Amino acid sequence: MPSIKGNDIHKVVVACDAGMGSSVMLASTLRRQLSRHSVTVEHTPVNDIPADADVVVTHVGLADRARASAPDKVIVPIRVFLGDPAINTIIMAVQYGGDLHG
Amino acid sequence: MAEPASTRPGAGLLDRDAIRLSERAATTDEAIRRCGETLVEVGAVTPAYVEAMLAREQTISTYVGEGVAIPHGTLTAKECVRRDALAVLRFPDGVDWNGNRVLVCVAIAARGDGHVEILSELAQILLDPERARALREATEPDEVLALLSPVRKESTA
Repeated sequence: MPSIKGNDIHKVVVACDAGMGSSVMLASTLRRQLSRHSVTVEHTPVNDIPADADVVVTHVGLADRARASAPDKVIVPIRVFLGDPAINTIIMAVQYGGDLHG
Repeated sequence: MAEPASTRPGAGLLDRDAIRLSERAATTDEAIRRCGETLVEVGAVTPAYVEAMLAREQTISTYVGEGVAIPHGTLTAKECVRRDALAVLRFPDGVDWNGNRVLVCVAIAARGDGHVEILSELAQILLDPERARALREATEPDEVLALLSPVRKESTA
């Protein structure tokens, strides 16, 4: 299972199917939450995860596709698009360092 | 003709005609159909988009919390989108959404990124219990327009 140190997280990608709705909303919230840190947040289709992504956030229903598309990346699956506890693990890792697994 | 007001990001995406505040639906599918039909009526999408919205919901629920769902189509259905637009449908009696109770749907038709600002604003509204309640209880289109207009508000930043 890949892991990454909080200090090495520079780009978080929210991977989605259509890139039209929920993932857009999640990306904008996360961008705001990480605005004090030098971390960029993008949303991209799950089949087109960029090579420079450090962490991939995606709905549990898309996690397998995300893993197939980016096998070496830390994948953080979420169930709800607003206020999922898994999002906090990313924020904590960025803020305080520590390892993020996925 | 472009109006000066439309230079604001996100303006023009949500027509007053696309705000329907006393809808009824017995099922999720019926609610999504009402959302899709509204987008068709305002000329934002072709009827095929409605089927894509139903298909999208089968993959992953578009419920985002606070009694709100944001139904939309799939990547392949982008060709059914004539212009980026939103519709807001309120179901005062609630709709069972796979175990969650939905009172408001914000339906999305997007080819470009025009809706990103509004969705970003919607996320902020839903994270603020008071504004989320205002959206769920809105009875006038103006209230919805005021809530969703993506103007930078000086709130607790």
